[in-house]
Amino acid sequence: MGGVELLQFALAGLKNGAIYALVALGFTLVYAATGAINFAQGEFYMLGGMLSVWAYAGLGLPLPVAGLVGVALTAVVGGVFEFLAVRPRKDGDLLAIIIITVGGSMVLSSAARHLFGPLEKALPAFSGTGTVSIFGAVLEIQSLWILGLTTLAVLALWYLYNRTSLGRAMRACAVNRDAARLVGIDPRKIVTVSFVLAAALGALAGLAVTPLTQTAFDVGPSVGIKGFAAAILGGLGNPIAAVAGGIVLGMLESLSIAFISSTYKDAIALVVLLGVLFWRPQGIFGASRREKV
Amino acid sequence: MSRSLGTRMTRLIVSVCIVALTVPTFLIGCDGDRDTDGEAVRIGAVLSLTGSLAGLGEPARRAIEVEVERINDEGGVNGRPVEVLFEDDASDEARSVAAASRLIDQEGVVAIIGGSGTGQSMAMRQEIEPGEVPQVALAGGSVVTDEFSPWVFQTPWPNRVVVPFTLEHLQAEGIERLAIIAESGGYGKDGSDVTKALVDDFGIEIIAEEQFNRGDTDMTPQLTKIRAEAPDAVLMWAAGAEAATILKNNAAIGGASPMRFFGAPGNARLEFVEGAGEAAEGFVFAAGHILVPETYGVGTEAYEVATGFIDRYTERWGEGPDIFAGHAYDAIHIIVEALRRLPAEFTPADVRDEIEATSGFVSVGGTFTFSPTDHNGMTAEDLTMYIIEDGAWKPLEEVR
Repeated sequence: MGGVELLQFALAGLKNGAIYALVALGFTLVYAATGAINFAQGEFYMLGGMLSVWAYAGLGLPLPVAGLVGVALTAVVGGVFEFLAVRPRKDGDLLAIIIITVGGSMVLSSAARHLFGPLEKALPAFSGTGTVSIFGAVLEIQSLWILGLTTLAVLALWYLYNRTSLGRAMRACAVNRDAARLVGIDPRKIVTVSFVLAAALGALAGLAVTPLTQTAFDVGPSVGIKGFAAAILGGLGNPIAAVAGGIVLGMLESLSIAFISSTYKDAIALVVLLGVLFWRPQGIFGASRREKV
Repeated sequence: MSRSLGTRMTRLIVSVCIVALTVPTFLIGCDGDRDTDGEAVRIGAVLSLTGSLAGLGEPARRAIEVEVERINDEGGVNGRPVEVLFEDDASDEARSVAAASRLIDQEGVVAIIGGSGTGQSMAMRQEIEPGEVPQVALAGGSVVTDEFSPWVFQTPWPNRVVVPFTLEHLQAEGIERLAIIAESGGYGKDGSDVTKALVDDFGIEIIAEEQFNRGDTDMTPQLTKIRAEAPDAVLMWAAGAEAATILKNNAAIGGASPMRFFGAPGNARLEFVEGAGEAAEGFVFAAGHILVPETYGVGTEAYEVATGFIDRYTERWGEGPDIFAGHAYDAIHIIVEALRRLPAEFTPADVRDEIEATSGFVSVGGTFTFSPTDHNGMTAEDLTMYIIEDGAWKPLEEVR
């Protein structure tokens, strides 16, 4: 195998990894706020693509506006979903919230099917269907958008977490809900904000990928699972770890195809995931959590 | 107090919404026409109206609705209206079994159309055989009729017919080193298995074989690996949305010299052509004559049958039928023709016998002749090679 091909595999891994990373970030945000896994995260990815297609093809909006509309509407759906389905469960029972999100994901994909039909929908590439050559290996220009948007999202999240009072409140809440409440932070508001942000991130991923893959009402679960695996692999609750987890997972899949077999690529990624969890249950980059008695 | 009541109400509303939206709408009845007398003849249809195979199930449902309406307008079958009971299996094999069981035990159907997918069609057999009700499957996997059951018929061209037709064409084009990229389950697996079993007869060698899973977003690594082997062409077995992604990935890494791609009837979908865009130019695949009715031969009986169906379907649904609608057209008419030949009193087993006696029935997918050993009856005659040019499929013969 030549160097150019190896680079091609790495670029493909990076591209898929960036997608997984965006979805994983959504898992991590909701986990930090509630301690629960939001299994509707994949549906936010689906909605981002579907609503953008609807705004573009259905409403006839220009592509950038349609994309913004798609992401914004999905963020609203995320907030409404939290308000109507998660918030009423006041005791914050984790298992109950997880089941609620599973139900929510079914509602969202069924609703999308009824509204937009069962068939896949296409969206044009953001800036042409061309490619760029990197030392002989090629990357679609759309993939540069995916990588760029992921980077931008990570930077924005970093800024939010470290430079704004809302971000500090979110971090405080993640560390200790009750203590945060004592200093005047409303944890319920933080949970809503987390769902809105998670939905927006998922939608951004769905929007960026749709020009390459098309989208349909049923694309959510498979991407959701990959994003979940990436979040676990990196370490739940930490945005940087989620991104790293996504990239590692994408690379693993790509290199499994290169050196072993495409038949088993998902199984190989899963085995590595399990191995990592045995070795470091908190994920590769997760801080070890010590229970203080 | 009022607040907790409010919360409870919200929760109630949310739960109701969840239940209402996720519980599939069972039995969307397709009423028989009121003008016809007598009790309706009930036919079941287990289709994938939701889930990953919805793109196959939905056109089938539409075709059956249009045709049942027409059959009943024309007086039904022997004076009785036809009623089709639709069940959605959500592309889930377990649900297709449950649906078949319900239709047989509780609804007393005389025949079942479906499922949409190969896996679903095979799974239903465990209810079909003991229930002694004939099944007309809409799935193209060879196993549906290769693993022979006296109760199971199949309307699409199975891969054992499609593959030799395709390989013959590849051979004529001088292709010797072939690569395969296939979906890991169902249609893709059946297609690549049949291909591998037959390539030797055509002097073709398989030099690379790669797989992908449903829902994968990027196939660049598989294509990079295939490209390193420098095949003459790639044969793709992908019926879903991933097919368009594969062609786009191929165009991206291929630059000025992308690999040549060939496909299968599962690619005869407008969404695929639209989704792949420029990357689909020059893509060649085998499918039935319905895509371009002129390939039946203008003025032939098949041409009249197909254009009549295309007109009715287009008028009702605002878009033309695809091959999956055609398979459903074949299924409902094969059953109805069998029913017409039966006396007033009959059992599902009699329906099976009459379906098996179908001979020279000119339909959309081809001319159907069943026998006790062949429950599909399609041949290479019923297929045409198409090429995608300027964003539309055209008969290859015409273009060359």
